[in-house]
This record gives sequence, C-alpha cells and structure tokens, in this order.
Amino acid sequence: MEGKSYQRFPKVKIREMKDDYLKFELRDTDASMANALRRIMIAEVPTIAIDLVEIEVNSSVLNDEFIAHRLGLIPLTSDRAMSMRFSRDCDACDGDGQCEFCSVEFTLRCRCIEDRTLDVTSKDLVTPDHTVVPVDFSDSAGNESNENRGVIIVKLRRGQELRLRAIARKGIGKDHAKWSPAATVSFMYEPDIRINEELMETLTLEEKRSWVESSPTRVFELDPETHQVCVYDAEAYTYDDEVIKKAEAMGKPGLVDITAKEDSFIFTVETTGAVKASQLVIHAIEILKQKLDAVRLSDDTVEADDQFGELGAHLRGG
Amino acid sequence: MDPPPPEPVSYICGDCGMENTLKPGDVIQCRECGYRILYKKRTRRIVQYEAR
Repeated sequence: MEGKSYQRFPKVKIREMKDDYLKFELRDTDASMANALRRIMIAEVPTIAIDLVEIEVNSSVLNDEFIAHRLGLIPLTSDRAMSMRFSRDCDACDGDGQCEFCSVEFTLRCRCIEDRTLDVTSKDLVTPDHTVVPVDFSDSAGNESNENRGVIIVKLRRGQELRLRAIARKGIGKDHAKWSPAATVSFMYEPDIRINEELMETLTLEEKRSWVESSPTRVFELDPETHQVCVYDAEAYTYDDEVIKKAEAMGKPGLVDITAKEDSFIFTVETTGAVKASQLVIHAIEILKQKLDAVRLSDDTVEADDQFGELGAHLRGG
Repeated sequence: MDPPPPEPVSYICGDCGMENTLKPGDVIQCRECGYRILYKKRTRRIVQYEAR
C-alpha cells in the first residue's frame, strides 16, 4: 500500500484514581507504546531523593553507611522535580547543597535522653524548603490514632545521638531505584472472550457448572434462571488457558475463543507517594514526547533514510 | 625537616570503659584494669557518604 500512514490517535480512559493509585485504559495504540510508557514511569520520571549524607555524630547501633542508605530510600514529595535541574547540569552552583535549582538540604539532630527507646523517623528531617518534605503516609493509612510518625530511620537508646546533614537531589530510577516514583506499573492486554453459544447449549447444566468453575478466577458465571453461561468479568482472566483445556477435556474444543486485543491495554499504576499517580502518567507522556522529539530533530535523522523518513512522517502526523 | 611529634591518641578499654591515652611504642593495656583490648574512638570530623 502506497503512502500508508501509521499515525494513530491513542485514547486514555481513567477508571479509578487515588493519590497514589491509578487504573486506566489505553486504547488504539500498540504494545511498543504501552511498554515505553511503563518503562518511563518506572525508570525515567524524575524525583528528589537524599543523595549525599554528612554525618557529624553517630553513636547509634547502625553504622554510618547503613543510615546513609536508609536516608536515600525515604520518599520525598517531588512535585517540583520536573522543573528542577540535575545537579550535574547545574551551572549556578558547585553541587554542594544550598542551590535552589538543583538541591535541597536537610538536617537531623536527635539525642535520646530518656530511659525508653527513641524512634528517629523521616519527620525528624528538618528543611527550610517546605515543597520538598518526606512523604506523609498518615492520611493514606487512615488511622491517626496510632500516632503515625513517618519512616523509621534508626532507634536510639539513652545517651545515643545522631547528628547529620543530608543533601537531596533530582534523579531518575535508571540511576538508582531510590529515585523511582513507581511502586508498581503494570499493564495487561484486554481479553476478547467469545463463547460459542451453539456448542455451549449442547452441554448439560452440570457440565456448564463444572466448566465455569474450572477457571481459577471468576471470569464466567451461570445464570441461575436461564442456565446460560455468560462472561462475568473478562478482565479477571489471567490467560491461564484453564477453561480452554477443560473444554477440550470435555470433548468440546472451540467452546470458547479467547484472544488478547492487541491495541487495548489496562494499566495499573501505584506510586511511592513522591508524586501523584496521575502526575506520574502525565510526566511520563511528557518525557516520551521529548525522547521522540530528540529522534526527530537529531542530525543523524536523515530525511531520505527510509526508516527515519517513515518515522518522521508518523511524528508529523502524516 | 622533622616529622611532627606523635600525638597521643585516646582509646577506650574493652573491659572497664576507662579512657586511656597511648603514644607510639606504649604497651597496649588499660591503666586501670590491665585489660589488653582497647578500642579507638570515632573521629570528630564530619564523614561524607553517598546515599546509595
């Protein structure tokens, strides 16, 4: 076919949205796009995390590097990360904290003076910048009663002390997993389930029941009145082939035909709380666009080159 | 040029917890209880780590 356009107009439909959870459908595109989006969400959307720790005093039971590592893993609110600079590209500073464009400074001073254990938590990290603070989980947990005090860093007994300065920087999950804003990002192909009604009617009620129950997840149901088998929840299907094997074992191959729709995906996104799940998806799309622009605008992208010519046409929308 | 005079370093006894100051060539032994395991104290300097 001549002059064939590969341009498509993907559609997104949001199913469920919470601060740190998002479920949405992505349609009219292919697996390469869905997987690119997933990988960008995990590894390339920037966040802010503690990257350098200067320990002044540490008489706790955990050694310095252990504490430094724990501090790095604490999620910090990173709504500002997209507009911040990487400290390696920042020419306004020497990358030593106190630079509003690329870093945030934290201090922690804790000393146990009582006879009981003192928990040093993420809430003891003090910063002058209120836009970058340790993520507060008390709301999502829902119970204020048990006095949620944040992420425990170390426990101190009487007389022990921890004093340090930490510098948080912008980074991406590809460099270190502590910068990944994603807890989990997954997508599944939407299943297309077709029951052969004619063949289904040759089954006895008992056969139908045992066939419906052969699925490990509740995909089908048996109508109690009409005794008809219908799809209860297509997305519960895990591509396990159990119902297909069961149909074959019953001597009824082709009872059901299940295929994956190659252009429909159901995404589940969970974040660490560093950014909202909805923001994570928006940022990921933004980054994907930047990457495609980089390919298009590259000097190496020869217009005459067949492969890139086609890609260019795709990107220009023709 | 002479090297700077060796500074005495203080150690903590592994048995009684007494602070001992030792110079090079001294016998490694607690002055209080005679215990022979002494621990060096943590540096007073700030130490820097990458949080990775």
